[in-house]
Amino acid sequence: MNRQDGTQIRPWPLSLLALSIISSLASAQGYDLASANRSKVKMDAWQCKRCEVKDATRGEIGIGVAYNDGSDSRFGNTTGTDTDGVVASLEADLTHKKASGYQTQFKANRLGYDAGSASLTTGRKGQYEIAASYRGFARFDNNAALTPYRLAANSWQLPSQWQSAATTEQMNSLNESLMASELKITRDRYRLDTVYTGSFYEASLGYQHEKRQGNRRASANLLTNSTMLSERVEDKSDRIEGKLYFRGDQWLTGIDAELSHYKNDLSALHWQSAFSPTFGAAYSGQSAVAPDNKAYRVAAHSQFSAPGQQVLMHLGFSRMTQDQAYLQATINGPSPMLPASDLNGQVDQLEMKLKYLGRLTPELSLRADYDYRDRDNKTEILSYPQIITDSYYSGDKPNQAYDRTRQQANLGAKYRFTRSLYLDLQYQYEHNNYNALDRDSLQTSDVTAKLHYRLSAQWQTWLKAEFEDRGGSEYLGSSVSNRPNNPLLRRSYLADRERQRYGLYTSYNGEALSATLNLHLMQDDYTDTQIGLTQVDSQGYDLSANYALNEQINLSAFVNQDWRDSDQVGSNNFGSANWFATTEDKATLIGAGIDYDAQLENRLRLGINYSYSDGQSDTEISQGLHSPYGSYYATRHNLNAFADFNLSESLGLRLDWIFEQYQDADWANENLVPDSIPNVLTFGDLSHDYNAHYFGVTLSYQL
Amino acid sequence: MKMNKTFHYAALFGLISLLSACGGDDGKPGNPGEPGGPPAMVIDTLVVSFDPVQMQSGVATVNYRVTNQDDEPVVGIPSATFIAAQLLPQGYTNAGNASQWQYFTSESCNDSCPGEYVDHRNGNYSYTFSAAFDGLNDVGYQAGATQRIVVKLGGDSLADGTSLPITNQHFDWQGDKEGTSSDPVYTRNLIKIETCNSCHNDLAFHRGNYNQIETCVTCHNADRVSNPDNIFPQMIHGKHLTGFPGSLANCQTCHAEDETLSEQMNWARVPTMEACGACHTNIDFKKGEGHPTQLNNANCVACHNPDWTASVHNDGGNAQALAQFKPVITKAMRSGDTVSFTLTLENPATGQPYMASADQLDFVSDLRVYANWGTSFDYATRSARSIRVHETTPISGSNGSFDYQIAGLTVPTGSEMDKGTLAIQGRVCAASGVLGACSDEANSEVVIKSSHRFFATDALSDNGRRLVVSNDTCGSCHGDQQLNFHGSRNDLEGQCQLCHNPNMLAEAADNPSLTTADFKHLIHGIHSGQRAGFEGINYPGNIGNCAQCHVDRDGILSVALPLDPGVKPLAIDDGSYTSPTAAICSDCHSSETNKNHMIQQGAVFNGTLSDATAGTESCSTCHRQGADADVLTVHPIK
Repeated sequence: MNRQDGTQIRPWPLSLLALSIISSLASAQGYDLASANRSKVKMDAWQCKRCEVKDATRGEIGIGVAYNDGSDSRFGNTTGTDTDGVVASLEADLTHKKASGYQTQFKANRLGYDAGSASLTTGRKGQYEIAASYRGFARFDNNAALTPYRLAANSWQLPSQWQSAATTEQMNSLNESLMASELKITRDRYRLDTVYTGSFYEASLGYQHEKRQGNRRASANLLTNSTMLSERVEDKSDRIEGKLYFRGDQWLTGIDAELSHYKNDLSALHWQSAFSPTFGAAYSGQSAVAPDNKAYRVAAHSQFSAPGQQVLMHLGFSRMTQDQAYLQATINGPSPMLPASDLNGQVDQLEMKLKYLGRLTPELSLRADYDYRDRDNKTEILSYPQIITDSYYSGDKPNQAYDRTRQQANLGAKYRFTRSLYLDLQYQYEHNNYNALDRDSLQTSDVTAKLHYRLSAQWQTWLKAEFEDRGGSEYLGSSVSNRPNNPLLRRSYLADRERQRYGLYTSYNGEALSATLNLHLMQDDYTDTQIGLTQVDSQGYDLSANYALNEQINLSAFVNQDWRDSDQVGSNNFGSANWFATTEDKATLIGAGIDYDAQLENRLRLGINYSYSDGQSDTEISQGLHSPYGSYYATRHNLNAFADFNLSESLGLRLDWIFEQYQDADWANENLVPDSIPNVLTFGDLSHDYNAHYFGVTLSYQL
Repeated sequence: MKMNKTFHYAALFGLISLLSACGGDDGKPGNPGEPGGPPAMVIDTLVVSFDPVQMQSGVATVNYRVTNQDDEPVVGIPSATFIAAQLLPQGYTNAGNASQWQYFTSESCNDSCPGEYVDHRNGNYSYTFSAAFDGLNDVGYQAGATQRIVVKLGGDSLADGTSLPITNQHFDWQGDKEGTSSDPVYTRNLIKIETCNSCHNDLAFHRGNYNQIETCVTCHNADRVSNPDNIFPQMIHGKHLTGFPGSLANCQTCHAEDETLSEQMNWARVPTMEACGACHTNIDFKKGEGHPTQLNNANCVACHNPDWTASVHNDGGNAQALAQFKPVITKAMRSGDTVSFTLTLENPATGQPYMASADQLDFVSDLRVYANWGTSFDYATRSARSIRVHETTPISGSNGSFDYQIAGLTVPTGSEMDKGTLAIQGRVCAASGVLGACSDEANSEVVIKSSHRFFATDALSDNGRRLVVSNDTCGSCHGDQQLNFHGSRNDLEGQCQLCHNPNMLAEAADNPSLTTADFKHLIHGIHSGQRAGFEGINYPGNIGNCAQCHVDRDGILSVALPLDPGVKPLAIDDGSYTSPTAAICSDCHSSETNKNHMIQQGAVFNGTLSDATAGTESCSTCHRQGADADVLTVHPIK
């Protein structure tokens, strides 16, 4: 996607809607089971006859003032703000109820921080509701990225005294021009939602506007010289969602529709080259940014139930389009003629799901489902000129559709031997068809067995085993690739694979003590891979416990550890394997906390929680000689304490203290300074190592 | 006599060993797996095979077996040299760097020995180095790295006088500081010595002791030589820059395709400023002259990927283009001074000829046919007649066969029963292996392979002028018809002689043989570096090895005396002549002593035509095939 001349074609990022479509599909399993059950529930019977509702406003509103150590902005991911010093916020949780059933609610949480929120909701329970809300999100990457670039008229420019040079160390004015820049992205999301519930139907309409701005890491290159730049992000997306559902005693049906539009305020990343122009006159470059795009989706859902049986159906269609004009290539000499002025891209996605659930006898229940998903890229296939360097035209290549059709069938049965023992068996078959990949099709068969046993009212345990076998059509690796690959290479996502997975779960639920233990083990064996990823072994456990010492004091603790070892084999002479890599990943998460709640009218709540997390990855390459890579880890200690109590009848005070110690290292950029690499002007070492505190005081008024 | 004497000694030695075996010297059978067998008597070659290296406290013991060409053990080798080196893998010293040899040590055993040299008297030998490799020559020994031990044998003789040919044999291995070695994980096998020797004959350096690439690289590396120009890749590239007889741009002239070499494609896959810069000498990578500044090899492959490198260092598809065009003379006959012939332009790729004549084909840039008469007496004139077929409307013909005539042949009276030669040369236009119109600037001219046909008065003939050298033998250094003269003439075996024949006069110089452009003299003068203007020629092989260029005729190398009767005396521009054999031998043997020897044996220098052809030369008496001083045996012909 990166062209040597400095322009970049990026894969157009999915709009939020597209993302949500994908994520909703990913978790589509059993999507409406809950509401199916609810449809039969007689909610009216649950109404509290004795509760008397009067016109009243209840809740609290408060003002918070905090000191935040923002010297390393990364701490802001924990606290919600990167302000170095004092920061104020509004906190509210107010509800106004009327006897007639109307209810209005106002909530605010850290409003004033980058990551704060507020919402105003009004309506009548069970009839209609209108909500307006705001939520801020912030992602803090680094505030010490060293760069000589300044933004001027949407272009990254160097200081006027800048002297370009062939290598970074020859850039005489580099050190005096360096400034620390901030890599941070904030999002402001505004929503307007309405829901109307009728006697047998429910309709909802939502509108969302999201504005994103900030800077993120980007790299820009001209021929052999690269520069790290903080790419400006300024874009917005709008999204409208509507739903209409009807329900009867034994059925539910409805449609969803969504429409989204992504608009980037910027059209390109422009920069002045810090390097001496090579082969002519490349003094500046430009690179395409995310293109404007649109998407819509319509879907229909239905479900029918009869005693002991249920059928669910789902059909959805989405279309994603973009027609942002192409940038001209910034190369010496005439720019090659492009076959079109824009991609005029269109991708259609069709999804269909059918599911049956039935309890045949009190002991035996069956389930079967079929899932079909098709991605059809309808973009016109044209021949695009390829440029490797300015002076070397390397022919034309067509754009690729990368279509995919996935079909999945599941057959499951659950047999209950006794009240406390059941066995669940499942067979799953998945078939994938691809276009323009190294394989035309992939098939996966998966068998899972789970034995669940409830030893007593407190103890239960289950054991699960899964075996999966993946194979496919002939591997075409070297013939479909742009450049011949080693014929022994198998890409891991298309390679033949045998997977075994085992899990053991045990839980205890006593009166004061509850605990769970979860062990898991997985082994992936790539059976036909001579070059590529050959084996992955992973194992881990979770252990958590909660103990109520008495009515006031609650203790909790958890520990979680995971290990994953991956083996990779390569060849540097295009022949059989002659180098080997092992990667050992390890993650540890430990936490413990005490909470005290005086349970008094005059409230007093105290809490202290500690968590430790550590992730590391060690890679070693061997080709006869062993070459371990350097450090790659992130370690975090976090202590979070609070005290919440009443000063008077209507005044409350809350104190917060957060302490965080964080350190990470990445051998790839460890100890880098901007001119460490001759042909790459870097941001320097972007690692973090900080001890930071946050102290907050919130004064609240209770209504 | 000498041979017989050796044989006697050998027989005696064999008898003694036989007796001792029967007599039961110790009565013990040979060790299993180490068959002794009778020692070799006749040794043409030494074959060295290795057992795994044994390491003890970092000190290597190499165990090897030496046999002759018949797998008979060679016992009693008095001396040997052992070289040890280590290979660092590609990319190990820095991203993009090539794999790199590191020299440890070289130890020689003659009368004394730094380490321990053991002759097991059954063809097996052991050598234990004098010290651990680690730290030798300031190089750290790394377990897991590929190691090489080279054993150099020969150059001397066994106690019985049987001489031992110089032999280098390498063994690649890896091992810990203790224990038995195992196969190495990686190698650096780029080129075979046979490729070098196709032009160089038997390369050997350092008093002839080292004759294998695998040996050269153990010393010609950064840890052994002080001058970086003497590191093997740079040194070899640099030394071939001037006077290279073939295309320098085609890396595969030397980096020949060979599936058995695991790193055969390194020339395209591992570009480094050291290897590439050794030919592209106008580039200073670090200063950024001639190429954007690069301080190391980490980025080379980003632009110079293997496809790119290969595409600019091969023939650009010319061979593919030429495989679509082949002019063939299908008929010829002579009438008076005019030869009539039929030309067909074949397309070997389709098997069908082109239907149009050459003047109608837009991809034919140049196509000429030359004619001369008198193949038995090296032609009647130095001015062969020709026709530009690409500009000529054929006299007749259709469907791909067209008739042309060349007039003005010189046919001396009485030679009507002799034969003539028609030679074709030309150029076509093509791009990336596809023939195309010459008017299209995207296409460039490609010289076709010249060819020739003989003809008699009435028809084509399979026989004509004798074959002395062939395009194949010329091609062993110059590439297959890759050497072009006068623009597009490359049929060195049969085309050049149409003009470069005895009708060209030599100058009346000290050695007139070195001044004529008659092919037989011209070639010798150029390749021996004696002709004016060619003094700088550094002949890559052994100049005395006539078989490098000459071919066999009737099973006998064409240099054998007596000369073909068609060879004429050397005509000198002062009207004098030198007798034929003397003129030829003087091309190389040009000293005054040589000349006097020839005169004493009846050769005529600067005499009259009748003296020079009177047959007074008696060279053949001693130098004829089979005689004592046969030309074929006194030259180091291989």
